[in-house]
Amino acid sequence: MSDEERVTQDEPEVDEVTALNQALAEEKEKAENYLANWQRSQADFVNYKRRSEQEKGELSKFANAQLMLGLLPVLDDLERALDSVKPQLTDSDWVEGIRLIERKLRAGLEAQGLIQIKAMDEAFDPNFHQAAGHSKGEEGTVVQELQKGYMLQDRVLRPSVVIVGSGETEEE
Amino acid sequence: MGKVIGIDLGTTFSAVAVMEGGEPTVIPNAEGGRTTPSVVAISKTGERLVGQVARRQAITNADNTVFSIKRLMGRKYDEPSVEYDRAHLPYKIVKASNNDARVIMGGKEYSPPEISAMILQKLKTDAEAYLGETVNEVVVTVPAYFNDSQRQSTKDAGKIAGLEVLRIINEPTAAALAYGLDKKSEETIAVYDLGGGTFDISILELGGGTFQVKSTNGDTHLGGDDFDQIIMDWVCDEYKREQGIDLRQDKMALQRLKEASEKAKTELSTVQQTEINLPFITADASGPKHLSMNLSRSKLEQLVMDLVERSLGPCRQAMTDADKTAAQIDEVVLVGGQTRMPLVQEKVKQFFGKEPHKGVNPDEVVAIGAAIQAGVLKGDVKDVLLLDVTPLTLGIETVGRVVTPLIPRNTTIPTSKSQIFSTAADNQPSVEILVLQGERPMAADNRTLGRFMLDGILPAPRGVPQIEVSFDIDANGILSVKAHDKGTGKEQKITITASSGLAKEEVEQMQREAEMHAAEDTKYREEVEIRNTADSMAYTADKMLRDNKDKIPEDLNKEVEEKVAAVRSVIQGADVEAIKRASQELSDSMQKVGQAVYQQQPPPDQEPPPEGGDDEGTVEGEFHEV
Repeated sequence: MSDEERVTQDEPEVDEVTALNQALAEEKEKAENYLANWQRSQADFVNYKRRSEQEKGELSKFANAQLMLGLLPVLDDLERALDSVKPQLTDSDWVEGIRLIERKLRAGLEAQGLIQIKAMDEAFDPNFHQAAGHSKGEEGTVVQELQKGYMLQDRVLRPSVVIVGSGETEEE
Repeated sequence: MGKVIGIDLGTTFSAVAVMEGGEPTVIPNAEGGRTTPSVVAISKTGERLVGQVARRQAITNADNTVFSIKRLMGRKYDEPSVEYDRAHLPYKIVKASNNDARVIMGGKEYSPPEISAMILQKLKTDAEAYLGETVNEVVVTVPAYFNDSQRQSTKDAGKIAGLEVLRIINEPTAAALAYGLDKKSEETIAVYDLGGGTFDISILELGGGTFQVKSTNGDTHLGGDDFDQIIMDWVCDEYKREQGIDLRQDKMALQRLKEASEKAKTELSTVQQTEINLPFITADASGPKHLSMNLSRSKLEQLVMDLVERSLGPCRQAMTDADKTAAQIDEVVLVGGQTRMPLVQEKVKQFFGKEPHKGVNPDEVVAIGAAIQAGVLKGDVKDVLLLDVTPLTLGIETVGRVVTPLIPRNTTIPTSKSQIFSTAADNQPSVEILVLQGERPMAADNRTLGRFMLDGILPAPRGVPQIEVSFDIDANGILSVKAHDKGTGKEQKITITASSGLAKEEVEQMQREAEMHAAEDTKYREEVEIRNTADSMAYTADKMLRDNKDKIPEDLNKEVEEKVAAVRSVIQGADVEAIKRASQELSDSMQKVGQAVYQQQPPPDQEPPPEGGDDEGTVEGEFHEV
């Protein structure tokens, strides 16, 4: 912003030239401002477009995430059911049928990109596991898996809920 | 010079938002979450963890995981609240040489601003990744009751994170901004903030463009988590009664129950009843045990009523301190996830005697307000670039007395749109452009903004000339409509100023009328299309007979002529079904002609009929000849 120039007691022509120069300078500055803002706007638009495309791509990739997340508890429960089959029933046809169903559900989800997270005996990694407590066992290693964790393609859908070894060999 | 972001630096969760295209948007973090846990940790391997990752290992690394650092910001070691925290927080709090409270993490000493800076840094990095540009300036929110020392600490945290904090604003003020309450002149606003762990009530006064905090109050141990706990307790007690098993002894069962309780609570905000269904929750000597209980909304409300009532005490106190009665409160704003519960909304409404503002996501409203403030401070898009929208659809009249829209309503201006049109009759020498504004499909039901003619169109069969009609609205709302004959190069245009449009009430009236008449308008428009199609078909059939005279057997020729006559005779009538039937019969006959011709020696390819007849793209609408 140019300060107001003191007009000297010269011929009126000089005054006019000075005034015009000043006006010109102001207009130039305005024009630069407008150009800059326009460029910024354009850049914002381009960035927004790029991001929009990206999000669209991600959307199709992860559109199923919510649905799968909602179905995981069902998978968990089926596993629990099969884990607690009474010994005398374990070979029954009916139980076998449930096993087939569980396999089918799992296969269906895996076909959509579901991947189980390795937890048991692995080094505890908060990027994939959530610690629910300590227990005796090798320090920093997962000694128990309370709930299976899953990835959807390359993103963690639900972390494994685990118990981490505390490094003690005996319970305190 | 990058964007300025708004950050809600919360005790348990933080959120980031930015102004984009004039609207505030929440920026998701690298993991895809719209909020980030305010947790920092140093792992056993010396790695620094921030956010969700830090939270996941909190239990196994309690000594080196710092959360709720906000409680220690700007505080001295021997303040009573710090004493309380020292006794209750699992990480070590120590005294600095100047008496400030500090924490030990990974064997090193850190000031609370340094810890907060780590959180801000992650938020900054994730925002930059999302926006694709650097972020150096930020607006951060703090509780209204924060003193100077606490505010300065927050500013310091920003600096350490490499961010210039343009302003610190109060959380309740940010919430008011998010709802645009700053647009009014004088207002008293109550902000009811019920989050995960704490409750805050603030009374603000807006005057002369600024917000003043008149009073604050709250309960630092009242939040959504307490609601979840009540549900869990009830389920455990019921289960013990029914099954004789205490689920509280089983870590895994508790984990599942916690998730299920939270889920049930959330569902009951939208439905009246939900089932808590946990198969194989535990087992005893007789085998596996399941949990299946119904929880109704009314039962939930009974269970949590005390908690909700507890929040009203601080509200009363805050009103007294601000010297206001409920009648003097002009607006109420809800913040925090727990305010989604219908009971909470109902109680707040009863207490203040007015409907609270709740459209914005209550978990994000503070971040959004911060972004709005950031946008205002940035200033370079103020005034000069406040963009308008055109409130009503703009178009021209086309054959059948319908409107073909060119610029739909609520399009941001400046904008322009062109479309190619053509003539409706053979050798039509001119077209009349009738510019219309409104939502109804029939030209007569809309407002005429202007009209002009473009003549000198060369003689040609209908549908052949290419007349490009362009609409252009500049930033001041001035509409120019131009018609350009691509063949002759002739052009005409008119300019319509905004003032020849409609006032706000008229706009709303027109929109309402459009809605009311929507059904009959659609029907009418369909009729017109059927008529137009029939007309085109008749014309095309005639042309086809002329062009292929020698290739068509006499009887087929006669058949088509008859069908064309049949169409032409019903087309002016009111019986739409008759028109459809006649059109169909004509179409069938025309196909026979095609077959007949193609079965002979391969003739030069027949030209397909000139009009598109498609539904999208540059369809040639046709002009109604004057």
